[in-house]
Amino acid sequence: MQGFFQQLLELGGPLLLGAGTTIGITLASLVVAIVLGLALALIRIMGVGPLNWIINTYVEVFRNTPVLAQIFIIYFSLPYLGINIDPFPAAVIGLGLNGGAILSEVFRAGLNAIHHGQREAALAVGMTPWMNLRHIILPQTWRITLPPLGNYAIALLKDTAVVSAIAAPEIMFWARNLVTSTFETTFVYILAALLYFCLSFPLARLVEHFERKQRAWQ
Amino acid sequence: MKDFLGVYLENWADWGPQIYAAIWVTLELTVVSFFIAVVLGMLLALGKLSPVRLSRALCTGYIEVARGVPALAILFLLYFGLVPLGIVFDAFTASAIGLGMSAAGYIAEVFRSGIEAIHKGQREAALSVGMTPIKTFRHIILPQAMRIILPPLLNMVIILLKDTSICSLISTEELMLRSKDLAMMSFLPMHLFLLAGVIYFFLAWPMSMLTRRVDLMMQRGRRQTFSVR
Repeated sequence: MQGFFQQLLELGGPLLLGAGTTIGITLASLVVAIVLGLALALIRIMGVGPLNWIINTYVEVFRNTPVLAQIFIIYFSLPYLGINIDPFPAAVIGLGLNGGAILSEVFRAGLNAIHHGQREAALAVGMTPWMNLRHIILPQTWRITLPPLGNYAIALLKDTAVVSAIAAPEIMFWARNLVTSTFETTFVYILAALLYFCLSFPLARLVEHFERKQRAWQ
Repeated sequence: MKDFLGVYLENWADWGPQIYAAIWVTLELTVVSFFIAVVLGMLLALGKLSPVRLSRALCTGYIEVARGVPALAILFLLYFGLVPLGIVFDAFTASAIGLGMSAAGYIAEVFRSGIEAIHKGQREAALSVGMTPIKTFRHIILPQAMRIILPPLLNMVIILLKDTSICSLISTEELMLRSKDLAMMSFLPMHLFLLAGVIYFFLAWPMSMLTRRVDLMMQRGRRQTFSVR
């Protein structure tokens, strides 16, 4: 039993270190994805001809290709054009661009769900379009998009596992390293899976809470 | 640009057959893992809706874990982690089972919410005219639930198709691994990863269009039934 705990400490340490990186990559990509997704959704709603066409193509391409292919292009192919990127930023850029495409659809649905009378009323009382967006539209959109946003965050957390393929030092990367040094294959991979579960489970409960709250509003 | 495309023409005799073979593996993997996910997901959904408490607890537990753990972690556990226990899968089998087990968690929830959305009067009426529970499920509940289930189910095919790419990390000889190997051998990563991206896109995009159309069709159908009520 004592041996078990010692082993747990030895293997758990590096995995927890990896969990820190996993959380870091998740948060950084989440910020990129939210900013990008919201910007794209707003531009699409305003409907600027050719710009719309470009954004639609971007969204379709990123939603219909594997995120691993996107990350490989960024990490392995861009050096070919003379652009060298470290694993961590490459992961954040790849996951962020991917997430921007997904979230632009989520935000668009949220923005579309706001009755246009809200905007008209805001402009009628003398608000500028920016004030309208800031104080009337976005707070209401936020409420609608919170549950799908949470679900996306969970999916993103799990997707960070694939960036071990470009040697970003997150949970899966450390697990693979530990396996080659200790040969405790079964134990290490079960620990890694458990660690992901411990990270995503509270998030899932939070999303459920948002969903229940939203149902109560309706 | 001309030079860029010229490289493809130059190498196509070498790359072409390998890429074709890899596309087939990717498609096979998608279909097999989808099949596993649907069968397992259906069983899990029924288990979660069953009156037996133990079955409900086990199925809920499985679904939570499958949805909370990355598919990659499941793949590593299946392919590398079970070897010391004497359970050895080849890469394709481990990939199909792993992706299927991971997706089954989602599909179970899709089935469950679809089945629960059917008014319980439907079931009561079917049972009261003397249908067996199995007949009721097969002829009354499932056909109506299908309308709600079908769009997310099709969506799952797209997600699985994209997720097969991570099976390259446990050395399944599919499109991503083939592209990576060719890229490393030829020192042309830009060409090969772009090619892989384009192929994935043209496999997934038609599916996306179809899913969107089916989604619209189903919504229209639902609206009509509401107006009849």
